[in-house]
Amino acid sequence: MSADEVTATNEASAPPPAPAPEPPAPAPAKADAPAPMPMPMSNPYAKDAPEGTGEIFIAEGAKKRKKKPVEVAIRLTKVTKRFGPKTAVDGVTLKVKAGQVYGLIGPNGAGKTTTFSMMAGFLQPTEGVVEVLGYAPNQVDELRSRIGVLPQDALLPGADKVGEFLIHMARLQDIPADRVEDSAREVLAEVDGRDWWNVKCGSLSHGMAKRVQLAQALIGDPEVVLLDEPTAGLDPRVAYEVRQLIKSRKGRCTLIVSSHNLQELEELCDGAAILDRGRLVASGSMTELTASSAEIRIKLSPGPAPIPLVRDLPMVKRVDFDDEKRELVVYFERAAGVDAEQVIGAVLWVLLQNQARIAAVSKGRGLEQRVMELTD
Amino acid sequence: MSPLSEIRFVAQRELGKSFRSAKGIVLLVLSLLGGTAASLLLVKVQQLKHEKMPNIDPESLRSIREDAATQIFGDPATGKALADAPEVLIAVFLLTIWITPLVISLLSFDSVAGDLQHKAVRYWTLRTRRASYFIGKWAGVFATISTMTFAVHALIWVVCIARGEAPAATALGWGIRFWLLTLPMSAAWCGIAILVSSLFKSPIIALLVTFATFFVLFMFWLIGGVTHANALMYVYPNFYEDMLVNPRLDRLMTGLACCLGMAALYIAGGSYLFTKKDV
Repeated sequence: MSADEVTATNEASAPPPAPAPEPPAPAPAKADAPAPMPMPMSNPYAKDAPEGTGEIFIAEGAKKRKKKPVEVAIRLTKVTKRFGPKTAVDGVTLKVKAGQVYGLIGPNGAGKTTTFSMMAGFLQPTEGVVEVLGYAPNQVDELRSRIGVLPQDALLPGADKVGEFLIHMARLQDIPADRVEDSAREVLAEVDGRDWWNVKCGSLSHGMAKRVQLAQALIGDPEVVLLDEPTAGLDPRVAYEVRQLIKSRKGRCTLIVSSHNLQELEELCDGAAILDRGRLVASGSMTELTASSAEIRIKLSPGPAPIPLVRDLPMVKRVDFDDEKRELVVYFERAAGVDAEQVIGAVLWVLLQNQARIAAVSKGRGLEQRVMELTD
Repeated sequence: MSPLSEIRFVAQRELGKSFRSAKGIVLLVLSLLGGTAASLLLVKVQQLKHEKMPNIDPESLRSIREDAATQIFGDPATGKALADAPEVLIAVFLLTIWITPLVISLLSFDSVAGDLQHKAVRYWTLRTRRASYFIGKWAGVFATISTMTFAVHALIWVVCIARGEAPAATALGWGIRFWLLTLPMSAAWCGIAILVSSLFKSPIIALLVTFATFFVLFMFWLIGGVTHANALMYVYPNFYEDMLVNPRLDRLMTGLACCLGMAALYIAGGSYLFTKKDV
C-alpha cells in the first residue's frame, strides 16, 4: 500500500496525523479573462501523479458559494462508534482522496453502514474525528450541495410525488430558484425516471424507488457522493444501469460505495477499505488489494503443465500449482520495467511453447478471495 | 442558506402534507363539524333565550354575561371586559383551548417519529440544520392547527353575524381576538408534542406518550387547583387562559410571555436533543 495515496489504519494509540496543508487558493480570474476550465481529473493512483503536485479536484455543478478546493475528500481519524456496550466501529483511520471511487467492504456487522452513516452525519462518532471536504459532517451549511447521500434503508416519503420530493430537496440545497425544477428533472432523467415526475413515492417499485433515491443523492452535482448498497435488491438489468450511472460519474466527483457485491466494487472502485468486526483490516488501491501487480493466475485445461520452465523465468519469484484445480499462481517482483502484462506474456509464451492449454488468465487474486482471506 | 429559509421550507412542506394527508383532512372535517355543531347549538340557545326571556333588556343580559365571565375566569375585571363579547364566541374560545391539545396530539405524533421510523429524516438532516428541521416541524404543525382553529372560528363568526347575534364589527373584533388568544397556548402544546415525537422512532409510542404527557400536565393543573399549589399549575399551558383574556396589559403580557416562553423552552430543548441524536 502506498501511504501517500490512500491510508487507513487502526492505530488506537498513535497521535492523530497532522492535517494536510491546504492547497493555495486559486488566484482570482481577471474580469476580462476567459473562465478557467475545470481541472481535469486523473487517476490518483497513476504513477505520474505524484503527491503534492497541486492536482486539485474541483467539481462542477450547482450553487456552491463556499466551495474550497480540497485534495482529501473524506478523512476519518481514529473513529470509534459504540452502541451501548457494543463497539460497531473501532478506531478506524481512513483517507479518501478527492476524485476517487472508493469502496467500503466487509461482511454483515463489519461496520460499513455505521462508518458510512458517520461520514454522512447521521451518526456521531463516540470518539475520533470525521471530516468531509474539510468540515464536520454536521456543518450542513458548509457542505450544502457538496455532498449527496444514498442511505441504505431510508424510505422515501410515500405521500410525496417524485417531482415534489426532488424539488423540495433541490430547494434545501440552495439551488437557484430558476434552476430548481430543471435540476430535479435532469437528475430524474439521468436515472431513467423522467416518466415518474407525478408518481407518488409510495407507489414506486423497489427498483424505481432506489433510482429516485439515487437521483436525490446526485441532485446539484455534489462533490462527494456516498452510496450505501446502491444495487441491493435490484434486478440485474437495473443494477447494471445503476453501475453504469455510477461509472458515468467517475471523475466528476468522489464516490464512496458501500456494498456486499465484491465483483461490482472491483469493477467500479479505484480503492477500497476492508472492514471486519468494526476494525479496518486492509485498505489501498484496488491493484494493491487484489495484488494484481504482484501475481497472476492461469487456469490450465487438462494436458501438460511445464511448471519448472515457468519457475526459471527471470522475473518470477515463486510459482504455486494446484493440481486439482489446475490453477497456476505466479508471483513476481514489481521491479522497474516489469509489470503484470509483461509477466503474463512471458509465462504464456513458455506455456504455449510446451503445449499447455490455457483456460483462463487473471491478474491478482480477485477481491472476493482477498476479502475471504482477511475476514472471518 | 439561512436557518430561517430552512425552517420555512420544512414548515411549508409540513403544512402541505398535513392538509393533503387523510389524517389532516379528517381532523379538519371533524373540526368543522364541531364548529357546525357549536353553531347549531348557538341557534338553539338563542331560540331558547328569546322564548324564555322575551322581554329581557340588553343591560340585564350584559350583567348576566359579566357574572358568567367573572365566574369562568375568576376575575371581575375580566368579567367586565368580556361583558360585551357575544357569549357564543367566549364558548368557542373555551372549547378551542380544551380541544386543541387533542387535535395537536393526533396531528403531530408522527411528525418527526414517522420520519425517524423509516429513516426518511436522513434526507433532511443532510440538507438542513437539525434545529431548523425541528423548528420547521413545530412551525408546520403550529401553522396547521392555527389554520384549523381559524376555520372553525370563522364559521362561528359567519353564523353569529348571519343570525344577527352581534354586529359584524363586534363579532369580528371579538372573534379575531379570541382566535389570536388561542395561539400562544397552541404554540406551547405544539412544542411539547413535537418534542415527544422526536424522542421515539415508533409513531404509536409517540402518540401514547403524547397523550400521557398531556394527561399528566392536566393532572398537575387539577391537583394544583384543588390543593392551591400554584406552582403545579404553571406547567399546564391552558392555565394561562385567564391571563390572556385579562384586560390588564401586564396580566396579558405575563400570560403571553409564559405561553411563548414555555413553547420556546420545549422547542429549544427538543432542538438540542435532536441535534445530539443519532438518526
